[in-house]
Amino acid sequence: MNLEILVNSGALDRPSDVLIFFGRFHPLMVHLPIGFLVLTIIVQFSVRWPKFQPLDTYISYLWGLGALSALVTVVCGYFLSLSGDYDEDTLFWHKWSGIAVFLFSLTCFYFTKKKSKLFHFTKWPLLITVTGFLIYTGHLGGNLTHGSTYLLEYAPNPIRGLAGMPPKTKPRKKVTALDSADVFLDVVLPIMNSKCTSCHNDGKKKGDLLLTSYSNIMNGGENGEVVIAGSPEASELFRRITLPENHDDFMPSEGKRALSDEEVDLLEWWVFSGAPKKGYVTQLNPEKRITIIASSYFGLDKNNLLSKKVSYPDAAIIDSLRSQGFVINRLMKDNNYLEANYTLSEKAIEALNLDFLLKLKEQLIWLNLGNSEVKDVHLEKIGQLENLIKLDLSRNAITDLGLKHLSKLTNLEYLNLYESQVSEGLLEVIPKMTRLQKIYLWKTKVQDTTIEQLSTMNKNLLVVFERDEVAGN
Amino acid sequence: MSKYHNFMQRPLSRREMLGICKGGFGSLAFMSMFGVLPFGCSRPKNIASDSSLYLGPHYMPKAKNVIFLYMDGGVSQVDSFDPKPRLAKENGEDPKKKFKVDATQFDNVGKILKSPWEFKQYGECGMPVSELFPHIATCVDDIALIRSMVSNFPEHTNANYFLHTGSGIQGRPSMGSWMTYGLGSENKNIPGYIVLDGGLIPPGGLDNFKNGFLPASYQASILRAGAEPVANIRPKEAIQNLQEEKLQFIKRLDDTFLGKMGEVDAVESAISNYELAYNMQSSIPELTEFSEESPVTKKLYGMDSDDPHTRGYAAQCLLARRLVERGVRFIELTCPKVKADRWDQHSNLKDGHERNAHAVDQPIAGLLKDLKSRGLLEETLVVWTGEFGRTPFAQGSDGRDHNPSAFSMWMAGAGIKGGTIFGRTDDYGYRVIENEVTIHDLHATIMHLLGINHEHLTFRFGGRDMRLTDVHGHVIKDILA
Repeated sequence: MNLEILVNSGALDRPSDVLIFFGRFHPLMVHLPIGFLVLTIIVQFSVRWPKFQPLDTYISYLWGLGALSALVTVVCGYFLSLSGDYDEDTLFWHKWSGIAVFLFSLTCFYFTKKKSKLFHFTKWPLLITVTGFLIYTGHLGGNLTHGSTYLLEYAPNPIRGLAGMPPKTKPRKKVTALDSADVFLDVVLPIMNSKCTSCHNDGKKKGDLLLTSYSNIMNGGENGEVVIAGSPEASELFRRITLPENHDDFMPSEGKRALSDEEVDLLEWWVFSGAPKKGYVTQLNPEKRITIIASSYFGLDKNNLLSKKVSYPDAAIIDSLRSQGFVINRLMKDNNYLEANYTLSEKAIEALNLDFLLKLKEQLIWLNLGNSEVKDVHLEKIGQLENLIKLDLSRNAITDLGLKHLSKLTNLEYLNLYESQVSEGLLEVIPKMTRLQKIYLWKTKVQDTTIEQLSTMNKNLLVVFERDEVAGN
Repeated sequence: MSKYHNFMQRPLSRREMLGICKGGFGSLAFMSMFGVLPFGCSRPKNIASDSSLYLGPHYMPKAKNVIFLYMDGGVSQVDSFDPKPRLAKENGEDPKKKFKVDATQFDNVGKILKSPWEFKQYGECGMPVSELFPHIATCVDDIALIRSMVSNFPEHTNANYFLHTGSGIQGRPSMGSWMTYGLGSENKNIPGYIVLDGGLIPPGGLDNFKNGFLPASYQASILRAGAEPVANIRPKEAIQNLQEEKLQFIKRLDDTFLGKMGEVDAVESAISNYELAYNMQSSIPELTEFSEESPVTKKLYGMDSDDPHTRGYAAQCLLARRLVERGVRFIELTCPKVKADRWDQHSNLKDGHERNAHAVDQPIAGLLKDLKSRGLLEETLVVWTGEFGRTPFAQGSDGRDHNPSAFSMWMAGAGIKGGTIFGRTDDYGYRVIENEVTIHDLHATIMHLLGINHEHLTFRFGGRDMRLTDVHGHVIKDILA
């Protein structure tokens, strides 16, 4: 009675919280009638065999349980539907078929309780009806929660075809260069799909806003447009994702994973650039900052050498190198990249040692040949170790003559040449090492002008060429 | 029970018997299947043969070596790296009227005590450093400072165990042991974990550097300052062959013994320690011979200082660099014994801290600069920390008591974002108010830089997979480059 007053007192427009509170129990309760009724149907079948005959006594209780739990679920479900977050059409059928489940199971309960003769004739049609409505209701409920494409999203194409769905679209190719990255399909849509569309989809339509396609995004939601091309500050979508996280309007809401700073910056730039529907990232003439962010977003700034799997090294070669005085260590667990260190052997390196090392060409990324009497002739072989990321040739009498052999080491990030004889030859070789981040040149013959030239050639290169001596005491 | 009980080998227990059989047959089967030994560093056989155990970095390391500069006794944060102007303003007032004061170790709470030293900003990052460390101040652009360290213990012994082993109770493996266990030693002539004894062994003693339940080869080897860094480092025999023959005879006996015992860690470690000790007879004298170092380098470290303690610590720092060059994984430097106790100034703060600071400041700065110019700072992590901090109010009139609720420490080198300041303390430098960092977090971060996932480096003991960080620890990402 109280409920009726609550429901009918105009609270329907803005249902009181307590109803929605009960409504939220619907997803929990819903499993009870499904379980009970499936059990009941199985029992109803199995009592035909003598072995299960004794169960017949309890069938009416089972129907009763099923009907009761169905009633509670229906009531909760009704309260939940008042929140208005669901697709009207699907909701209508879900509601009425749910009520049908309740009514038919109640009928069965009545018949079995009264041991009515009538049940003998209507038993099978009734069972099929209950089963049918149960499956239908459950399926629609699933569509409401997870979206109508959820069930068959990963189904094989023939099955999708039967259900009238388009064949699966191939996932877009991984972006390998900003020149071929589509601003909407590769930047905006993936962000929406990972952070927004779990609520703003065809089934849920929170705030009447769909973020599943370009036209949907531009159409906006119940409060009008959410993206004003060219003006991120005026765009509701941008405002919502940049509010403080504890703000009521902050999106994504309720503790769902927020957008990363990179994602926010990229969306801002997209809206600012006029929210284009297509076009490559570089066609929009992004400023340097955005290019850097986009590169990092697509993982293009990483040394992709490391993302490649290399084969297991030949154990015999490793053993042999170890007996020659190399320390060989594995550098990571899930790949076979190696480091080799010869400094600890306290022996002079020979061409033969390097021939063996070349057999680990694929795996070797760190090499330390400091203080090993490396000569210019040796560098020809070292220059073939193309995967090297770190190379230490310090304390060796190498000169520009040998240095030029290193120009193929384009993966190199760290190069140590301190206490060697190198000089201007660096200017030819270093610019080819595009990934180089740090170079050590203390105690070499390099002139200050060369250092300056090196620094201007590559702004990101750290050149260490001297030692800070004692500050004045 | 005989007092030698611990050293007598028990007969084989049922579990050991099963363990040996399982390990033996299982690993034999595995190796014949794949035809290769797991590659990595040489380790005691019983570890290397357990094929399910992966040792080595989990992901590409930033650091290969760690130099741990232990500031024994607890440096005062408000006098070194965490300036608090409010202390000067309220100098001499009653702290209990200002904030809640916890019971301290000696509970002789005096007045609020301002720092006797001025702070200045240094480097491009503008990090404030006090007058105590004029030399370290010139390296701030390579340093990541954490001002929000906390410890669980307000007393030296437990706090030392906690800092070194991740547990406040004696007996756990030291972090250096964990790291050499995880990564192996690079140099077969020098132990992978070395403590350079500057004169003060920290409260808690050698258990700070022990291997605990890890195999005995992973304990620290302690090198003393002076002419003989390790006892009997030069063979006593007049004829060299004599010593070799003796050792070979012992090895024959040991091998027979080991054959009877099965693969027992204690025996295997002892044998490998003998072999290492023999190798050290040639490697250690060479290591401690500084004649190849230039006078400029020696001066950089402060080996020409008037202060004998500066000279001593300078030699230790130079030795640390030489150890890094020789592939030693973990090197800890303990403090020199200056004329004012360790950094533990319960009274006479000014004199004591100045003496301690003077001894370590220039050598540490010299070490950082020398490592950097040689490219070694790229793969060496330098860690500077005490076991806890000190109170912003006085103990008595001119000392400071222990404060585990906040202290400052810094790291420099491999994978560290130089010029960073992380974490914040309250206006008095008494408690952490932002980004608290625990000792476990510190351990997790050091291991992370070495390429080790602190949750995956385990050793089964007492029925559980033990970790240095137990069930705690988060990598402090904000200070990483």
